[in-house]
Amino acid sequence: MKRRTFVSGTAAFAAASVVSPAFAATVKPYSWDLNPPTDTRDNFIAWGKGRGEDPVFLGQRWDRFQALVKNKDIWGQATIRAFLLTPREEFASISPAIHKRAYEHAFLDIGYGVTMSGPHIQGRMTNVIDVKRGEKVLEIGTGSGVQSAYIANLTENAYTIEIIAPLAARTRALYDKLIDKGYTEYKHIKTKNADGYYGWEEAGPFDKIIVTCGIDHVPPPLLQQLKAGGLMVIPVGPPGAQRVLKVAKTQGADGSITTSREDIYGGKIVPFVPFTKLEGDKIAGTHNR
Amino acid sequence: MTVSVDLDNRPSLSFYLSVGLVAGSIIALQIGIMRVFSVGSWAHFGSLVVSLAMFGFGLTSAVMCVGKGWFERHWEGAVKGALLAFGPLMVVCNLAAQQVPFNAIFLISDPMQKWRLLANFVLYFLPFLAGALYLGVIFLKAKKTFSRVYFADLVGSGLCGLSVLLAMYFLKPDDLIMAPLLLWLAGGVLWFVALGDRRGIAAIVGVAILSAAVHYAAPPLLGIPKLAVSDYKGVSYARKFPDAVRTYERASPFGYLEIYSSSYLHFAPGQSDNAAFNVKKMPANAYLGLYIDSEGPAGVIKDLPADETPYFRYLPMFYPYLLKKDPNTFVVQFGGGISTAVALKSGSKHVTVAEGNPALLTAFREDKGLRDFTGDVLNNPKVTVIDYDGRLYVAGTKNRYDIIDLSLADSAGLSSPGGFSIVEKYSYTREAMTAYMRALTPGGVLSVTMWNKEEPPKSVLKLYATMAAAARDVDGGKDVAQKFYVVSSYLSTATVLYKRDGFTPAEIAQLNAHTKAMSFDEIYYPGFKVDTSTLPQILSDYRDQFFFAGEAADPTGPSEKEPNDKPPPGAPTEVKADGPPPAPIVPATVLGRLAWHYLIDGGWQKVADEYVFDTRILTNHQPYFAAYIKVGDLLKFTDRLELVQDEWGYLLLWATLGIATIFALTLVLFPVVFGWRTIFSRYPGKAGTMLYFLCLGLGYIIVEVGMISHFILALSNATVSASVLITGMLVFSGCGSFFSERFLDRSRTFMPKVFLAIFLILTLYAFTIDYALDWIGTLPYALRIVLCLLLLLPPSFLMGFPMPTAMTTLGRLGKDHMFLWAWGINGCFSVIGAALVPIVATSFGLPAVVLVGAVAYLVALPAFFSVLMPLEKERPPGTKLGAA
Repeated sequence: MKRRTFVSGTAAFAAASVVSPAFAATVKPYSWDLNPPTDTRDNFIAWGKGRGEDPVFLGQRWDRFQALVKNKDIWGQATIRAFLLTPREEFASISPAIHKRAYEHAFLDIGYGVTMSGPHIQGRMTNVIDVKRGEKVLEIGTGSGVQSAYIANLTENAYTIEIIAPLAARTRALYDKLIDKGYTEYKHIKTKNADGYYGWEEAGPFDKIIVTCGIDHVPPPLLQQLKAGGLMVIPVGPPGAQRVLKVAKTQGADGSITTSREDIYGGKIVPFVPFTKLEGDKIAGTHNR
Repeated sequence: MTVSVDLDNRPSLSFYLSVGLVAGSIIALQIGIMRVFSVGSWAHFGSLVVSLAMFGFGLTSAVMCVGKGWFERHWEGAVKGALLAFGPLMVVCNLAAQQVPFNAIFLISDPMQKWRLLANFVLYFLPFLAGALYLGVIFLKAKKTFSRVYFADLVGSGLCGLSVLLAMYFLKPDDLIMAPLLLWLAGGVLWFVALGDRRGIAAIVGVAILSAAVHYAAPPLLGIPKLAVSDYKGVSYARKFPDAVRTYERASPFGYLEIYSSSYLHFAPGQSDNAAFNVKKMPANAYLGLYIDSEGPAGVIKDLPADETPYFRYLPMFYPYLLKKDPNTFVVQFGGGISTAVALKSGSKHVTVAEGNPALLTAFREDKGLRDFTGDVLNNPKVTVIDYDGRLYVAGTKNRYDIIDLSLADSAGLSSPGGFSIVEKYSYTREAMTAYMRALTPGGVLSVTMWNKEEPPKSVLKLYATMAAAARDVDGGKDVAQKFYVVSSYLSTATVLYKRDGFTPAEIAQLNAHTKAMSFDEIYYPGFKVDTSTLPQILSDYRDQFFFAGEAADPTGPSEKEPNDKPPPGAPTEVKADGPPPAPIVPATVLGRLAWHYLIDGGWQKVADEYVFDTRILTNHQPYFAAYIKVGDLLKFTDRLELVQDEWGYLLLWATLGIATIFALTLVLFPVVFGWRTIFSRYPGKAGTMLYFLCLGLGYIIVEVGMISHFILALSNATVSASVLITGMLVFSGCGSFFSERFLDRSRTFMPKVFLAIFLILTLYAFTIDYALDWIGTLPYALRIVLCLLLLLPPSFLMGFPMPTAMTTLGRLGKDHMFLWAWGINGCFSVIGAALVPIVATSFGLPAVVLVGAVAYLVALPAFFSVLMPLEKERPPGTKLGAA
């Protein structure tokens, strides 16, 4: 198995360099062979405990996984594996107010006017762009870091840019901490604090691009850095009620480049189904009540 | 302390001034809190918080009604205590509320937010409680000369409302609380002067200095914000850019305007994706971000050199310039100046540009930095500036234009385009569109561009229907099929072109070629064919998106699930190996095409009825894009609010109405429950009296708030309209109150005439005032204000009669409890009335609002006779009606 490791991003921040060298790995380091069981909750929790994770959060992760599958937000084996391997609680741990809510169907406030999107929309977007191993994926808007964490389980080539310097530094430091802890998959993520409008030209072109910030037009540099045949997804609208715009770039036989816009659902209107709220194994109403 | 004033017998002038100033301080505090919410978080929550805070009056009334004896015995202490507490409470509570800001967008998802909201309610409620106690006790003590005190109350409120607006020129929103504090100080000092209480004067001055010191010193000392601006407001992002510099800042009643410079700001509203592959040089560092009340950014564009302007071609507002060479152009709204820049760089021989916000014009005309940056665009010899609403100018001018542009006006917000607020959008009404169309030269083109970021579409459908209706008005109901060309870009923008004499085939071909080059979607052009068989499916799918009852179909599932999916009718089923990829089906785009098909060929109303959201056209009577949820569906959305986040402004109105009604009934019924058989046992006509004050409370505020929306037609600015209305109505009504005393002994015969007159005038206004306001809107600004005030004079003056006449009557009849209770009912139903206005306006139109007010006064007529009923059994001597 070919493994590539990346040094952390180009930006050297004080906060990013605060890494405790004495910090011993507490979870089993990542490998592409890690395959969490998907048969029963108990098996999954047992497996996760074996990796060194908290059984309470593992239980919540399993329950949310069930809700995601039931709601058809994730269906591909690779995305399911990515979801089950990603400790959302670690990314929510930056604020005590949201730490315990990491697996709720809600967008959470992570400071700086930025939200961590809910697991359902993140699951859907991750599955829809269908990242293949080895593909280059660029994310604009690192935020909490969790979206790129999913990508890191799908490809070795994840790139992410955050515009807000202290947030970029905080999330970079979090990745480093998690890598030390044993989540070595986050070595797949290259981070940068910059204006995402201009993309990451040196690293491009990209197979997939995820843009998670509001803007009045799709930044031309990003379209330029997208490979022909590539796909860009952009959530549009208020958090919680976002639509995901899909921009496809195609090159005709004559070399002419065209783009097309559609919804990630490919022209189908998605019926509303209230998300089921799971408490333990029991269904306790919906998350809207 | 010796009390030297007898409030029922010729109290000194300083007493009346004190009442006026403290009442004015209360209204100044309301306006101040609204501004704090506008700048820090969200204006709609400001109205909610202020509405509920006004229940301080209801609560005071209820408590005083039950404990009347105590308050009569300890009245001077109560007044003194209320006065000394009011000022410090406004400062401390405001500061405390800023430390527990709540965030509307997390209201549903974060369980902590509702407690923060509650904390805000409680904190802002406290100062109003103190203010209400001061007024309540004074009213009680002056009940026999109530009309004079009420005169001071109303006139003071009116004039102080105006003064706080003027104060907005000098005080930034975070210090605006100083305006009510100063008014309170003046009112308090005068109170103690009236009493000859020197220690009181010293005390209130000391408390005022301390309060001001807390406001100014505590935040820097404790490291806390004076005004907490939400991290989610546009300006908060700009402030975090490493190279952000604020280049301009100005506070005024027209908003708190800030301009930031940063290399991180990029604007190209609605730009075609194809620009990426065709434009050689995209301009860099070419923009400033403009923020009004922390909302934005709107892009301010640099005066670009010729090699950086080719990208204008890729903006949707470029369309009309494809057809018109050397046009005489009219830009309806200047905003940040992008439309004006496009007009100038696309060959316009002259550009007339209107802007209704004087603060923007001042900034662009006077600030050296901005003038240099924009190439002094407003002083460009090719540019004529109209310093009021473009809509009004166009309706009045004899000038004709080759191009009229209305592009993305005042919709700077990127994350919540088109939604969120219940705001009058008079620039987009049928009447406005008609005016633009009529102001075109024979071959002229009207170009309207709007955000198309809603899915399912809402605002754009309203725009389409409005423009089609306007075209029929202009062309006498004739076929308008040749006159429209419509394109959109999914989740970006939609542009409607209207050509006065219709598009020629050559022009259509030219426009279609451009649309293709831009990768925009054709929505309509003369001869465009639509497959109407897809309509029922789309309508039911959109409804299912919110109200699906069965198992979810799998929209994105793996291929083995495909057979379970409903494939969209008309979708290509097979892709030829070497053919072009199939065009994606975008339901919103298809619906746009269907909408134009039915708008042009007829039958739209039936489609609209079946669509999940309301798509009624905008008119001067209902100028709203928001309020798209059909009233019948309201309750069905309560468990899925996050799906309609851009409608929360509207839903919040219903919530306010609901909460206000519960509060009001609780407070009004409190004395009833505790005293129906005891306190009120000797009071005949209880129900009638209650109805009377209920009608006055509802009627007055409904007319006032409704008229604020109406008068924007002429005054083109919500802030000015509000100030003219508040000041005009309260001052005139105050005068009415003063005069009403003369008719007190004849009230039984005189008041019915007053009620009838109010009813008739308001009814007349409901149906005709639009025409008057449209005409007034074309006159010079100062004259407009004078004429608006003249329009207000007759009804407002008469509306000043009923309240003091009845209150004084109650006072003189010795119905003291009823007197206090009536005041509370009036206050409580004022809150309900204020919440009711936007709901009636969005559902039935603004004339209906004024009519509701008129009817309230008509109902008050018979109820007035209940007020006149004397106390049973013992009648206190000297309380015969009219014994002045």
